Amino acid sequence: MTAPNSPLRGRKLGDRRVVVDRPHSAYFRYAGPGVMIAKAAASAPTTALGRRLARVRAVVFGKPLSTAQEIEERLTKKLALPIFSSDAISSSAYATDEILRVLILAGVAWMTWSIYVAGAIALMLTIVAFSYRQVCRGYPSGGGAYVVARENLGPNFGLIAAAALMVDYVMTVAVSSASALANLGTAFTVIQPYKVELGALVIMAVTAANLRGIRESGNIFAIPTYLFVGMALLAIGVGLVNTATGAAHHLPVPLHHDDVLAGTQAFTFFLLLKAFAGGSVALTGVEAIANGVPAFKPPEAKNAANTLIIMAVLLGTIFIGLTFVGLQYDVRATTSQGATVLGQVGAAVFGDGSFLFILLQISAALILFLACNTSFNAFPRLAAILAKDDCMPRQFAFRGDRLAFSWGIVILAGVSIAMLWAFDASVDALIPLYSVGVFICFTLSQAGMVIHWRKERSSGWAWRSVVNGFGAILTGVVFLVVAYEKFGNGAWMVLIFIPTLIAMMLFVRHQYASSARQLTMRSGAAIPQPHRHNRVVIPISGVNRAVVQALNVARSITTDIRAVYVSDDPTHSDEVRELWAQAVPDVPLVLVESPYRALIAPVVAYLDVLDRSWPNEQEEPITFVLIPEYVARSWWERMLYNQAAKQLRAALLGRPHTVVINVPYRRDDTRAAASATEQPAGTLVATDNGQPH
Amino acid sequence: MPEANNAIFRRAVVALSGGPTDATIVRLACELGRSRHTEVIAVHVVELDWTVPLDADVAERSEEAQRVLDAAEGIADSVHGNLECVLVQARDVGAAIVDEAAAREADLLILGLPYRTRFGGDFAIGRAVPYALKSAPCAVWVVREPIGEESQ
Repeated sequence: MTAPNSPLRGRKLGDRRVVVDRPHSAYFRYAGPGVMIAKAAASAPTTALGRRLARVRAVVFGKPLSTAQEIEERLTKKLALPIFSSDAISSSAYATDEILRVLILAGVAWMTWSIYVAGAIALMLTIVAFSYRQVCRGYPSGGGAYVVARENLGPNFGLIAAAALMVDYVMTVAVSSASALANLGTAFTVIQPYKVELGALVIMAVTAANLRGIRESGNIFAIPTYLFVGMALLAIGVGLVNTATGAAHHLPVPLHHDDVLAGTQAFTFFLLLKAFAGGSVALTGVEAIANGVPAFKPPEAKNAANTLIIMAVLLGTIFIGLTFVGLQYDVRATTSQGATVLGQVGAAVFGDGSFLFILLQISAALILFLACNTSFNAFPRLAAILAKDDCMPRQFAFRGDRLAFSWGIVILAGVSIAMLWAFDASVDALIPLYSVGVFICFTLSQAGMVIHWRKERSSGWAWRSVVNGFGAILTGVVFLVVAYEKFGNGAWMVLIFIPTLIAMMLFVRHQYASSARQLTMRSGAAIPQPHRHNRVVIPISGVNRAVVQALNVARSITTDIRAVYVSDDPTHSDEVRELWAQAVPDVPLVLVESPYRALIAPVVAYLDVLDRSWPNEQEEPITFVLIPEYVARSWWERMLYNQAAKQLRAALLGRPHTVVINVPYRRDDTRAAASATEQPAGTLVATDNGQPH
Repeated sequence: MPEANNAIFRRAVVALSGGPTDATIVRLACELGRSRHTEVIAVHVVELDWTVPLDADVAERSEEAQRVLDAAEGIADSVHGNLECVLVQARDVGAAIVDEAAAREADLLILGLPYRTRFGGDFAIGRAVPYALKSAPCAVWVVREPIGEESQ
């Protein structure tokens, strides 16, 4: 309570009023009876260094946002599309290449089959998008395939889907940054030796943007995505017009001979299947929207479902359009170092080296680079849902200053950088690990939706479950083909990562379940009064004010108090004993000589002896260990003190029936401690230079 | 009323009673005062009878009194307005509000007028509103609680 202000005179004779202080108002706001809401000032740093760091953090990541501002951070469809779709849409830039690289093995004539393969993939995209649209509506709390599998196939299938997705998100970040750098590296050879470092920098930049919050990162990354969509659609449009007018008849791109692939195999069904599996990379990232439904503005499910359809239409249009126009212009299948289908089509329709061609290439490079941003939005949300289900450490569910799931973002960045470093930022080494996991999750989510429809039996359930069943088989087959094809090139690692991740999640879940069982109270149980004996042990380093402070606290707990002084100097022990007997005659002091000069272990051993000497027929007492601590004013001073106290605290951590209490003594506590000893400040006898260890 | 800088007011005192009109008048003052160099001061007066000393520790310990101002602050925040909150103990609510407005050189005093639906419905005009209308050294706005269909 603060002192009341003096009364103020009113205008009328005898009128008085008092302005009342409101000490809570700077930090808290009452929201209801007994309920307070902390204001920003309550969590603001109090030290000068902390304030400086907070200022730097505000510049880099932005000012902290309150939970109430979460609704303002939600995404409109226009902003959500680039955030959640950059991965999926970017894959249209290279999916046709993947098909052609397989079909060319059977000869140039078979490349015309690319349009049929692209059509089949577009059909699969339709089924998967249709399925995820239902997931958005049926599971508006997000989680996508994980939640669908968990609810319909069982928790373990949910974990398989989650693990597969998480591995794929990490790979998306690693592959997209590596491929963006590889593209840059062909233009600027000087960066080649620093690919890993630059990749790490790129990932850190995207991490920082995402830590600023979803809306701000959306604003940053929206333009490149829309630029790519616009340029790709323009290229397709011009290409179609040229085709209709008969102008699409030549390919002006000068391709390097070594980059052009040639036929070496017979055309088989398996080759066709391989082309289908290769082109299916177009589907990676389709599931991201279903993971992030709560990030949309209300009505969340409807907006997410509609955004998903827009994304699928754009992806399908660009993919089919590029494949079709590419065929009309007789594009070539090239190695990963050669000109892409998009590049060949761009050069054909806009003119090689023209402004529009360069803009198309830049936008393609940018979107490939930003594909990783989808992972930065989807991975932390999935991790947060898993954390809420106790399958991941709970820190993953905490939102940072800017309402972003900071832990997920930082961990994703860290693991992706580690992958880049481990694979030396080599696209060829990383790509086999990519897009394996996502087909596991597609298959599980489709299969889960079949059961969902059968359980729900809503209108149209029969045909919906047939569609999802067909989708499950299709994506399952693609998974098998992709896994078989890439297994020898490194996909086996993914098939190890996924079970490892599942094992980790099961372990975390087991740990949380076990601790919850130990902590749970019987419902309705009345808590009895404490009945166990309490005793206090104060390890002292001498007779000083910090010890007096600890003694005062001890006296408020119990009368069974004893001090322990561990010394490696017998002459000093006698001095302490004498001072103690004089200053605190009612509290016994135990002197422990330590000829081996250990300070911590003898205290712990003494506590063990105390426990053993307690009568067996009585319940173990609770031992309070009060550690006096001198708190210096500045951080650098603090390094000089309390090292032994810290070690003792660490040694007693987890000791049964033991409560460890730090009793801080600050310089401004002088008066309190002095009055407690009934001696004027400055006359209190101090040993050991007046400081604790 | 001053017309400087096209502002409706320079400094407004909003009298809070803890009733349903508080939200309306705080929102009104904050929205009118937003984006201009204006101040909005919310005053809540805890009336003490003569059996208690005027400087008794009453209002500070009263969570309810604090909550009236905190709720106003929350409303001001929601419309991105700045609100200074003042808690006052006095013998008479009307006099204290007018004195506070005069001491702070306010050019506008806004009060809420609650509507009681019992017994056919009537405005609970009380003593504070007539006193403010009569004695305030500045413009006084009285905002009535919505009645009938307006409240829906």
